[in-house]
Amino acid sequence: MLKDITIGQYFTGHSFLHRLDPRMKIILTMAFVVLLFCASNPLGLLVGVLLLIAAFAVSKVPAKMILKSLKPIIPIILFTAVLNMFFVSGDPVFSWKFLTITKQGLFTALTMTVRILCLIAGTSLLTYTTTPIELTDGLERLMKPLHKLHFPVHELAMMMTIALRFIPTLIEETDKIMNAQKSRGADMDSGGLVQKAKALVPILIPLFVSAFRRADELALAMECRCYRGGEGRTRLRKLRMQSRDFAALLIVAACYAAVICLNLFAANPLHLL
Amino acid sequence: MNEMIQTQHLCFAYGQFEAFSEAPTPARMVLQDISLSIERGSFTAVLGHNGCGKSTLAKHFNAILLPSGGKVYVDGIDTAMEDKIFDVRQRVGMVFQNPDNQIVATIVEEDVAFGPENLGIPRKELRSRVDEALEAVGMTDYKDKAPHQLSGGQKQRVAIAGIIAMRPDCIVLDEPTAMLDPRGRREVIATIRRLNREHGITVVLITHYMDEAAQADRVLVFDDGKPILDGTAREVFSHVSILKQVGLDVPQTTELLYQLQKSGVQTPHDVLRVDECAEAVARLFQNAGVPRGAARRVDTAETRPETPHQNKGAAPAIQTVHLTHTYGAGTSLAKNAIEDVNLSIEKGALVGVIGHTGSGKSTLISHLNGLLKPTKGEIYIDGENLWQNPKDIRRFRFKVGLVFQYPEYQLFEETVYKDISFGPRNMGLNESEIDEAVREAARFVGIADELLDASPFELSGGQKRRVAIAGVIAMHPDILILDEPTAGLDPKGRDKILRQIKEYHAERGNTILLISHSMEDVAKFADRVLVMNQAQVAMYDTTENVFQHAREIEQMGLSIPQITKVFHRLAEQGWPVRPGVFTVESAKREILNALSRGGR
Repeated sequence: MLKDITIGQYFTGHSFLHRLDPRMKIILTMAFVVLLFCASNPLGLLVGVLLLIAAFAVSKVPAKMILKSLKPIIPIILFTAVLNMFFVSGDPVFSWKFLTITKQGLFTALTMTVRILCLIAGTSLLTYTTTPIELTDGLERLMKPLHKLHFPVHELAMMMTIALRFIPTLIEETDKIMNAQKSRGADMDSGGLVQKAKALVPILIPLFVSAFRRADELALAMECRCYRGGEGRTRLRKLRMQSRDFAALLIVAACYAAVICLNLFAANPLHLL
Repeated sequence: MNEMIQTQHLCFAYGQFEAFSEAPTPARMVLQDISLSIERGSFTAVLGHNGCGKSTLAKHFNAILLPSGGKVYVDGIDTAMEDKIFDVRQRVGMVFQNPDNQIVATIVEEDVAFGPENLGIPRKELRSRVDEALEAVGMTDYKDKAPHQLSGGQKQRVAIAGIIAMRPDCIVLDEPTAMLDPRGRREVIATIRRLNREHGITVVLITHYMDEAAQADRVLVFDDGKPILDGTAREVFSHVSILKQVGLDVPQTTELLYQLQKSGVQTPHDVLRVDECAEAVARLFQNAGVPRGAARRVDTAETRPETPHQNKGAAPAIQTVHLTHTYGAGTSLAKNAIEDVNLSIEKGALVGVIGHTGSGKSTLISHLNGLLKPTKGEIYIDGENLWQNPKDIRRFRFKVGLVFQYPEYQLFEETVYKDISFGPRNMGLNESEIDEAVREAARFVGIADELLDASPFELSGGQKRRVAIAGVIAMHPDILILDEPTAGLDPKGRDKILRQIKEYHAERGNTILLISHSMEDVAKFADRVLVMNQAQVAMYDTTENVFQHAREIEQMGLSIPQITKVFHRLAEQGWPVRPGVFTVESAKREILNALSRGGR
């Protein structure tokens, strides 16, 4: 039923990753992305891939969901891979008229593809294992220093929270309005594109009117509860880093060390070819 | 200092301080010279029809509005002092009508913490305040839930907890139960009473429900921006004629004794509770020497209300055969919302449909015009199988008019006329037919011609509701189904809509189904009553027969009219009255009859 909808793509669970502090998860995800692009040595990239596979295994998020998240970016990957293949100069392995595929080109295409796949899978893992609320909370706290630069951190977080709070309410409302207009004979399934767009008017107008009414009432209720912006506000929930957060940090740090060592000291297998 | 809130010559007019309005609109005085005080620890109910100024007054109690003239003091603080505004709001918390629109956070306990967080309460104390507040409203078990997973009554209790957590001295509640079902109402009122009794919190309750007001220590009745009655519930409700003049109700019990008095029978006039009323009537019987039989137990066996017995010949207006609907079929959460419903409703019947939230009544009505498709079973409208040809389903939408709860929220056109014509236009009628349908529908619901060109968004709440109903009536449905058409209206608006529906029925003779939580409405209105319980039809019979089973109905979590309760008591004591009486009118007749049989 509509009431049970989940927002975003959170996958319910209690794994090690689910229980990590959202701030740490956000930082580590960013670190992971940087790591992918730092690794000039393919062996270093392999470290990144292994880390990601391990993380997915720990999170118990089914493989099906990962594939689903990768599907929409396949065209982009193909595009970049083809570009890299043909336009990187080096030792030709194949040539036909003006098209030349080089060894370096193949190599770049392959590493780029792996990087992009890991990037998307890694960031998806963050949203799979973190509820939108935790994510908002984590972001608000991480961005807190920006407040000094007059960046409206608290306001943005408040807006996110209210949006998340009202999405289920408004979805339910849309359903009700649709049923009401259908009962008045509104035809929403037949007709061309223009007709279908027109059929949305009787749904969208009441929905907007209601959203504004709700906003008005909510603002009044917030005022009655002494809301006056982020200044001087305390918070019920405190995010506290636990030992598992530092353990996760250590693991990622170890991966960084490995990648840097490989970059500096290991021979690029490409040159061995 | 014993006054929690004190107003001195308080006046208020909207639009006075609007700097942006070019031509200042003539300010209408909403509050006129009000001087009153609310005692600390008291429980005050405020009554009055919509627009009488009671909500405006309430908003002065926590400095949401500031007086145009006069003063308001909260705990001795002048609310007009700008730097004290948060001191005032912390002391006087406010709860509003729509539970959805006051919950800010995505998790219950975080929402409760919102107020004290704003006050800058240190974290350690926050925790204990939130826990205490949730405990006080009995919502501790739900602290990790998301608001949309709760029922209306639960949400409203969370909203109250959010106020309690600020440790206020006083709570002002503006029609907190208007959008709730009877169970939710009971929960909320019980919570409010407990806070008042056990925690010593001053309560100001604005309400349209007389039974809620009757529980207060003091009742204030507002009309036209000023209090006209002020006293204990008993005193105030004894002024039946004044209350009726200003468009308010009185409890059925009070009304009955008032009516008897008008017919020349000596009765006490300050009766409120059911037991008092039964006692008063019993005393009348005794004095008149009405013969009394042995005490008996009414209910159960007598006439078992039966389900479908149809008049042979004509096809019933609505017939369902083994109708079953399963939500989430095939998953572990599969649940039958209705199960094997066999129902047959005669043409031209006026049926009241009752059942608590989740009993399946909403699911049932959504099947009748094909919004939902049955998982199993069939539906026949006028003898025609609804799903014979699924492509043809829209035709039934015009045959079975369905008016949803709060239908005013579906208005969307620029003018009232266009909005009402939406249905007829979808039917493919020509302009002159549409015009006729719109005007006729508007007449039925009492919308004057000059309003047809107005924007529906400019109308009052009651008018919007009636326009929305007209939008369905204009389709000339053979069957009209109304889901809670009176929800959230004041007594006057409530009676007006019910009266119009009844007139429409008398004139058109079509079949009408009225879903309602208000047993008084159903009793006043319906010829037959359909009781839904646990996904099935529990009873379907004449109103009188159904209300004879008061006890069973109460066991289903529904209430019964006060009058019925009184007559049950009397019948059980052996007095010669029918226990199924459900309106004040028939109750009066029944009593006068019995009295005339008395020896003295």
